[in-house]
Amino acid sequence: MYLPSGVYHETYAATHAWWQTGFVRGKMALLLLFVFTLPLYANLYVVSVANITLYTILGALGVQLLIGYCGQITFGHAAFIAVGAYTTAMGVLFWGLPYPVAAVLGCLLAGLWSVVFGLPSARIKGFYQIMTTMAAQFITVDFIITHYVSRVGGREHYFSLPPGTITIAGWPVDSEIEVYYLAVILTILCLAGMANLLRTRVGRAWIAIRDNDIAAETMGLNVVYYKLLAFFAAGVLAGVAGAVWIPSLLFVSPEHFQLSWGLWLVGVILIGGIGSLHGVVFGSIFVTGILELLKFAIIPLSEFYPALSERFLYVKEAAFGLAIVLFLLYEPRGLAYRWQQIKNYLNLWPFAY
Amino acid sequence: MAILLELVLSGIMVGSIYALVALGWTLIYKCSGVLNLAMGELTLIGAYVCLTYYQWGFPFPLALVATLVTGFILGLATERLFLRRMIGEPILAVIMITVGLSFFFRALVGFIWGTDTVVFTPPVFPREPLRFFGMVFGQVYIWSFVAAIVLLVVFVWFFQQSRWGLSMQATADDEMAALSLGVSAKRVYALAWAIAFMAAGVGGTLLGNINGLNISVGYLGLLVLPAVVLGGLNSVPGAIVGGLVIGVLQNLSDAYVGKLTQGGVKEIAPFAFMVIILLFRPYGLWGWVKIERV
Amino acid sequence: MRRLVLWMVALALALPVVAGTGWAQDIKLGSLNDLTGPTSDVGKDIALGIREAVQYVNDTGGINGKRIRLYLYDYGYRVPEAITTYKRFRDFDKVAGVLGWGTGDTEALSPTVGRDRIPYLSHSFAAKLTDPKTAPYNFVYGTDYSSNARAAMTVWFDEVWMKDPRFREARSKGEKPRVVMFYGFPTPYASAPIKALKNHAELLGFEVGPDQDVSLVALDTKSQVLTAKGFRPHLAWHGNTTMSVAATIKDAQALGLGADHIVNNWGFDEGLVRLAGPAAEGVMGLAVTAYYGDKVPLMDKVVEYAKKLNPGVAQEARLIRTVQSWAQVLMMAEGMRRADKAGKLTGPGLKEAFETLRGWTPGLGLPPVTLTATDHRTGSVIPVYRIKGGKFELVKQVDLKARWAKEWDGEWFGY
Repeated sequence: MYLPSGVYHETYAATHAWWQTGFVRGKMALLLLFVFTLPLYANLYVVSVANITLYTILGALGVQLLIGYCGQITFGHAAFIAVGAYTTAMGVLFWGLPYPVAAVLGCLLAGLWSVVFGLPSARIKGFYQIMTTMAAQFITVDFIITHYVSRVGGREHYFSLPPGTITIAGWPVDSEIEVYYLAVILTILCLAGMANLLRTRVGRAWIAIRDNDIAAETMGLNVVYYKLLAFFAAGVLAGVAGAVWIPSLLFVSPEHFQLSWGLWLVGVILIGGIGSLHGVVFGSIFVTGILELLKFAIIPLSEFYPALSERFLYVKEAAFGLAIVLFLLYEPRGLAYRWQQIKNYLNLWPFAY
Repeated sequence: MAILLELVLSGIMVGSIYALVALGWTLIYKCSGVLNLAMGELTLIGAYVCLTYYQWGFPFPLALVATLVTGFILGLATERLFLRRMIGEPILAVIMITVGLSFFFRALVGFIWGTDTVVFTPPVFPREPLRFFGMVFGQVYIWSFVAAIVLLVVFVWFFQQSRWGLSMQATADDEMAALSLGVSAKRVYALAWAIAFMAAGVGGTLLGNINGLNISVGYLGLLVLPAVVLGGLNSVPGAIVGGLVIGVLQNLSDAYVGKLTQGGVKEIAPFAFMVIILLFRPYGLWGWVKIERV
Repeated sequence: MRRLVLWMVALALALPVVAGTGWAQDIKLGSLNDLTGPTSDVGKDIALGIREAVQYVNDTGGINGKRIRLYLYDYGYRVPEAITTYKRFRDFDKVAGVLGWGTGDTEALSPTVGRDRIPYLSHSFAAKLTDPKTAPYNFVYGTDYSSNARAAMTVWFDEVWMKDPRFREARSKGEKPRVVMFYGFPTPYASAPIKALKNHAELLGFEVGPDQDVSLVALDTKSQVLTAKGFRPHLAWHGNTTMSVAATIKDAQALGLGADHIVNNWGFDEGLVRLAGPAAEGVMGLAVTAYYGDKVPLMDKVVEYAKKLNPGVAQEARLIRTVQSWAQVLMMAEGMRRADKAGKLTGPGLKEAFETLRGWTPGLGLPPVTLTATDHRTGSVIPVYRIKGGKFELVKQVDLKARWAKEWDGEWFGY
């Protein structure tokens, strides 16, 4: 790890600190300031794109935990987000719970649901695990939620929450800006929580399982227990994402949680970088932001070829698919690695040796 | 009773098309170890290419041959451009390459051909239903079935008799041994993809002839996964039986289980079935019992 | 190569172009359309028609001299995308009114639209949207799905079941007519009229068979048709859009279902004839306006503008949907004109203007539209058509209110 000369640590706590120099602390403070004041000078459109980015970060965080840190491949993460979102919505709508309570309930249920479909991981891995998680997706979303849960309470096919039903301690959360602050705070909490969790016994156990499960078992780790714990944690994170999703649209339907969304999240961490929290953030920004910018980029081109803007959704999906393929071929370590390279370059500049 | 029989028979007929596509999947896995999640998109591309030729005025058999040739070229190109570099990479990377390709191909099809349902006009197979023993069959199903069976026989012959098929089998069995005997593994991989594209193209064309063609044909590519899991990933007869079973299972579950639920059974049954197989017999009917366990 | 990718990323970052700000005199109109999703088969024709109709309005004096500026976006029939696009209309484009599309997204947006007070004139005719108490800012330009379904069933019962010699034997034996329904269970559009239809079946003395779940993009419906066949139905209701209705009707013919078909309006157009061919012969269904090229007032303009603005699209490829989108745009323009004259071209002003429509029709075979502050149903006279020789002919017009006055004003409202 890079440290400039003249930095001395006198306690163990200091050596474990996340931000070790004044420069880094200043940088992070500026970043936080920027993040928290964004709605003051950005228009609502930018804020809404930021909200989708934050939602993607929260969703991809769970996928990163499972794939990047525990080595358990999941293609059904959208299902767990759906469980979180639906539980929260139903808690608010039918059981009259305050939104935070309903959200906590949603997180727990999503975690347990995730454990149920994580159980086969005790026996199988690799391709068979992919098949199981895909089946989890179909059974949860395309069957149970679409055909049963969605019809609870005579609401056909979707839950629409009347404006003003979602409140946190009396404050209604229904405009983009309020949702933005909710999402930002939760995202920071989850990222910080994850970063610290990975340094504990549990996190190290996950990484050991990812690197070699048989070796991990010979070290005395209860592999099944830690795997299920990883599924639970990932499910809880998915639940957080689901709970954040509701106020931003005031609406839940199975369409939000299709298989392609789960695959999309896996794509996000591949582009960002597997096994890196930076990767989650960079991947989400890349996939949401860049693809949104693509929309503006093709406006001039669509004068000559109108199909480009008419079929923009396809252009976006094709760009995403191509991005995954190109990253895997040419930059398998993702944007996070590229970021590290840039930082190294700047740290050593101008004497790069 | 007559209804049950009709359900089973029409399930077998659609299942024969699944079997054809599943065969292409198994082939790729057998030869190069790539677990291909883009099979549905290959089916889509094949079907639309054939339709385009047909609308240019090619007679149907010629259009089909042209589709096979196009599929062959596309298969070689895909393997060369995207998958050759991935040999020996971790399983997630290879699978995600195919996922990326599936996003890309599906969007490409949507971009080029749009999302309308299109039909083969004039219809390739006559519309009037045939009657045997009091049961009614659409001619198009019967012809699809015949075509699928003929192609399955051709594929099986290819593997067991032809030089290329034998070298593919050799590579699948033991790559080092095959290489030392002068088989080019790269060519075998390329050929596997080319054949998979061709099989998917024919499957897609036949599906498109039943009621027309739209982007949801790609969904059928996912149904291939339960079929190959049932048959065992690397077994050719397994893929065929798996495809047929999935076709029948879909029909029967919709007709008999569907009554008890609020819908959606037809789409979900193959995957629920797959979970059961994975729990009890993950290597399928005839797969190699060397699945890696924890 | 790696460098190339980096350059491309940098380029994409550098390219954002700030969208134009527009002119003050223009009235902004948002339109949400499906050009790429499962309903794009009709959605594309609608989008063409909307552009042509807006051009026509602007050519003929606009809104009291002001031009309409149209913002038309594709949302691929995905509800989340619709909500994002709606936010764009509201916060970024700042439109005066919205032309909406599907049932799922219109119903989902309904509470938000009510709060933002932006009138929302949709192509979805779900009955729920016609109740001003729950959906004050939602409007439709044709009769709702539930009434349509009731009308189609009534006409089949009156004209076919009671008169056709095919059923004389069954009638004389005192058999009840049997009906099955094919529709996408989880699709809001398809399932919207089912409750009303079952209620009406009971009213007319039908026996209702097991519902069959057919997805909007289904290509293989054999198991559903075979299951329905076990019930030996006389009549089949198809609640989906053209693509899957065509597939079901073809499978019904191939497997010998032997029932008559009635189809909801989004499944019943020229596309059905093209996709289903001879299997579509004799199918009955609903239409909101006259068919493209029919001899009704203003149709000459529709055809003229279609030829002028979109010469690349073949005339045979144009559907009734073009005419429908003209009806929608003209109704929006009429509302805007009235609101503008009253000096209140705002959301609430436009809503009040719509509610002054009494028996208004632009021609085009659209039944007269009457809207009041307490009832957003456009009318009770519903035409039912039949396909004969590949063409559409009117079977009969039913006036539901005249026949069931008590139910019409009572329990059928917003059903």
